[in-house]
Amino acid sequence: MNLTRDEIIEAVNGALINEMELDPADLAPEKTFFDDLGLDSLDMVDLMIGLQRKFGVSLRDNEEIKKVRTLGDVYDFFEKNQAMLTAQAEAAKKSAGQAAGK
Amino acid sequence: MNGLKRVVITGCGIYSALGATPGELFDSIAAGKSAIVRGNEEDEFLPTAPAPRAPERFRALPRTLRRAMAPSACFTAMAGLAALQDSGFTQDDLQTLEAGCAVGSTMGSVSALRDGYSLVISGQSDRLSPMHFFKSASHTTAFNLARTLGLTGAIYSPCSACASGLQSLGLGAALIAAGQTTVMFCGGADETGSEVSGSFALMYAHAPVEDDPARSSRPFSADRKGLVCGEGAAVFCLEEYDHALRRGAKIYGEIVGYASNSGGNGLSQSDAPAIARCMAETCASAGISPSDIDYVSAHATSTLQGDAAEAAAIREVFGPNVPVSSLKGHLGHTLGASGPLEMAVVFEMARHGILLPTRNLDAIDPDCAGIDHVTAPREKRIRTFFKNSFAFGGINASLICRINA
Repeated sequence: MNLTRDEIIEAVNGALINEMELDPADLAPEKTFFDDLGLDSLDMVDLMIGLQRKFGVSLRDNEEIKKVRTLGDVYDFFEKNQAMLTAQAEAAKKSAGQAAGK
Repeated sequence: MNGLKRVVITGCGIYSALGATPGELFDSIAAGKSAIVRGNEEDEFLPTAPAPRAPERFRALPRTLRRAMAPSACFTAMAGLAALQDSGFTQDDLQTLEAGCAVGSTMGSVSALRDGYSLVISGQSDRLSPMHFFKSASHTTAFNLARTLGLTGAIYSPCSACASGLQSLGLGAALIAAGQTTVMFCGGADETGSEVSGSFALMYAHAPVEDDPARSSRPFSADRKGLVCGEGAAVFCLEEYDHALRRGAKIYGEIVGYASNSGGNGLSQSDAPAIARCMAETCASAGISPSDIDYVSAHATSTLQGDAAEAAAIREVFGPNVPVSSLKGHLGHTLGASGPLEMAVVFEMARHGILLPTRNLDAIDPDCAGIDHVTAPREKRIRTFFKNSFAFGGINASLICRINA
């Protein structure tokens, strides 16, 4: 994962438009997921699973992602943490490969 | 159902391969159409009878509802919305009445189950959507209908394979008759999938595809080779009779009799004596004689053993003079949907005064003879009809409906 902020925005918004059927015109950074965009906690889990797949990272045990409230929070999260998330994913892949080789 | 409250049907909605409304479905069947086509790549050796599944078909359902629905629940919700509209109730009415529902299917959703297990088995369970449970649960058709209609009463989901729909109607009627509730939305739904059709094929109960796929299902026919799986849904609004009268509701008919039983040791084999006993008990529950029945809508799926057993039971209970037909040659076997979906067509038959025939019944099997097979459209006034549904596991269910209570 080595994306510009615009690429992150495009990926996140794409998931919201395609999976959550949101209107692109509503996708402003200050919009909150629950009150403004009408999503709920199950939608958020679905969204994160989709983004995990898209970005090739694991968010399951990440405490920071659980704190996001606005769309901008999600853009910021991935922009700020992509190096760490990528490193985690590669380490996990390496560990799985070593385990399989034993 | 003497001594109990009377139960009438005041709304009907369907989702089917051959029409979006009961009227369209009747017209398709009356025109001799068949839903049965060659299977897809996965099941190319089997015929199938699919209902429309394109996503735009279900856009009437808000995403917040649809996200928890696989096709079987979408079919149910669409049929339920049509039944609600037909009933004349508003969703506010239903909440005031604490209306409930009873809707069943064979196994929830085979497609959702497959999607989920494919991820789990390939070690990708972290990619499972939280919606997977809601799409694949055995009661997905029922609770998704309740959410769609805003039902606040009891939610039941009889899961008895091909008898699920008729058992749901029987359950709803019993609850209303007992005074436990006033309105119940009841029906059945199912979707095709190779887990089901393949299982039938392994038991030599599924038809192979014919050069003309529309001839693949031939109930009661001497050369029948098995059933063809179909899909769809039907939902009825069941209502306490006096309540329906007070609000001036349109009444399709009254459920006057219902029974369900088993042979005691059934797995896949039909049990003619148990079926006959179920049908006789249904007549007894209605307090009517078999000679009062104007038409039997048979379960007859086009299997060798099942059709012969049902014909033998009909012969024993009704004799040779009550008209009988099966709609499985047109629709395939829509499994949990079949009982209610075929009943929706019978109400149209009654409205038109025409009995529709069993499709592809050119030569009646001697094992299925001795009953009055309807082999061509026949003018007939239907005042009281009889519906059968049977299921793997030795389950039999029968229902009697009197038209225009």
